[in-house]
Amino acid sequence: MNPLIDNLGLVLEALGTTLLMAVVAGVGSIVLGVLVTVARVSPIRALRVAAFGYVQFFINVPLLALLLLAVFALPDAGLMLPLTPTAIIVLIVYEAAYVAEAVRSGVNTVAVGQLEASRALGLTLAQSLRLVVLPQALRAVVQPIGNVMIALAMNTALAAAVGVVELTAAVNKINLVAAQPILIFSSAGVIYMGIALAIGLAAGRVERKVAIVR
Amino acid sequence: MFRTTRRKAAAGAVLAAAALALTACSSTTSLPGDENEADATAETNSVFADAPVASDDLILPGSTMEKIKERGTLIVAEALDAPLLSQQNPTDPDSVEGFDADLAKLLAIYILGEPNVEIVPPATETREAMLQNDTVDVVFNTYTITPERAEQVSFAGPYFESGLAVAVKSDNDEIKGIDDLDGKEVIVGANTPAVTAVPEQVPTANVTAFATDPAAVQALLQGRGEAYVQDYTLLASNAANDPSLKVVGTPFTKEPYGIGLKHDDAEFKSFINDWLLAIQESGHWAEAWKTTLGTVTDSDVPTAPEIGSVPGS
Repeated sequence: MNPLIDNLGLVLEALGTTLLMAVVAGVGSIVLGVLVTVARVSPIRALRVAAFGYVQFFINVPLLALLLLAVFALPDAGLMLPLTPTAIIVLIVYEAAYVAEAVRSGVNTVAVGQLEASRALGLTLAQSLRLVVLPQALRAVVQPIGNVMIALAMNTALAAAVGVVELTAAVNKINLVAAQPILIFSSAGVIYMGIALAIGLAAGRVERKVAIVR
Repeated sequence: MFRTTRRKAAAGAVLAAAALALTACSSTTSLPGDENEADATAETNSVFADAPVASDDLILPGSTMEKIKERGTLIVAEALDAPLLSQQNPTDPDSVEGFDADLAKLLAIYILGEPNVEIVPPATETREAMLQNDTVDVVFNTYTITPERAEQVSFAGPYFESGLAVAVKSDNDEIKGIDDLDGKEVIVGANTPAVTAVPEQVPTANVTAFATDPAAVQALLQGRGEAYVQDYTLLASNAANDPSLKVVGTPFTKEPYGIGLKHDDAEFKSFINDWLLAIQESGHWAEAWKTTLGTVTDSDVPTAPEIGSVPGS
């Protein structure tokens, strides 16, 4: 008998935490990532530099290091949040860097003439970004953002190292008693695969739905 | 072979760095082993002097022992980050020190005549798999013998008996032991017996598991929990090194540690049990305890648990 089925309640509760983290951090990172991209393509030099620094920092520092710093270093600086929100915030700022890179490549697919035309029509810069450039850019990068979301869902497992009881932590706990690592961790792998597949298929549907014929 | 533990290693490195930064600016905490670095080598050698070696007729043809002897090294799954039990020396990465590490070397001497040990750092999560697919010969990893685990692997021993205890911040006078943890936030080490033992004893406690012992201590001191439940000896060693932490009460469980072996290797199991008796009789077991776990407690050398005395062994 599969020990994960014997502990179904614990597994489902932990899966709920994993999904909660993935969804909240997913939405958060897309919002933040788009804002970073806007800063990155803005005409204000300081914003461009700051956005570039942000993306480079979070792409080059491992997520586990960020998690450990947020959980163990921030309390010494007088800032202590519960574990799950801390992990979600770290996931948001980390994955936002990847989202920003994906969206930036989408911005590059929008022809310069589009922006020139929108300015010629009298739209302000904010309006042209919001109404002309970003809608087209986002449509072009649905699949890459889907991939970032899959990576984010897998990355939630690292939160187990800082005490968040998500799927990986729960599975570890079950294995501690049942001692059948290969069976238990393959089963957990199948669950993660299901999550990735669901995100991938959803991204595919959205992409077909919002596709534009140029 | 390091792949499975890369995350842990990275976590350890970061924590170590953080801990260094913290101690550097906050206090004068001395690192374990600071004072007796010089005579450490001499001490370690006395553990291995005249250690028993198996006679050739004990190395049965076709047995696991013979395979190890032909290979010339004993492949052991043991931790690199367990203070007093099996810890890599930060100043000399080739040397791994502690009670488990010393016993592994003594076993290597018994089979090979020399302390030739190849360490595969275990993911605690995959000890059973490492034995089943022959990645390692034996597991020395504070491996508590349980009937469930004994269905997957075999255990020689027990070679040591320990127990879980409760540690709190030094200024906490409210918690005096496991019975005072009702409704409290309790920190445990992930993949330690405490993960299941605490909810069994105190169902109302709210348990949070951290990946490593330094992380758990840090979490306790930062107030993420009011108590930290862990192996008594490990806590005693933490408390000895850090006055902001104290151990309260006596151990509330009995954890018999066994030597993990491939399932149903009866020859190898009785060979190792014979070796355990031999080192207990020759005093090497006591010597290994005195130079490692014994350095943080005032108590006398404990009696070694009786071989095969617990269910699953």
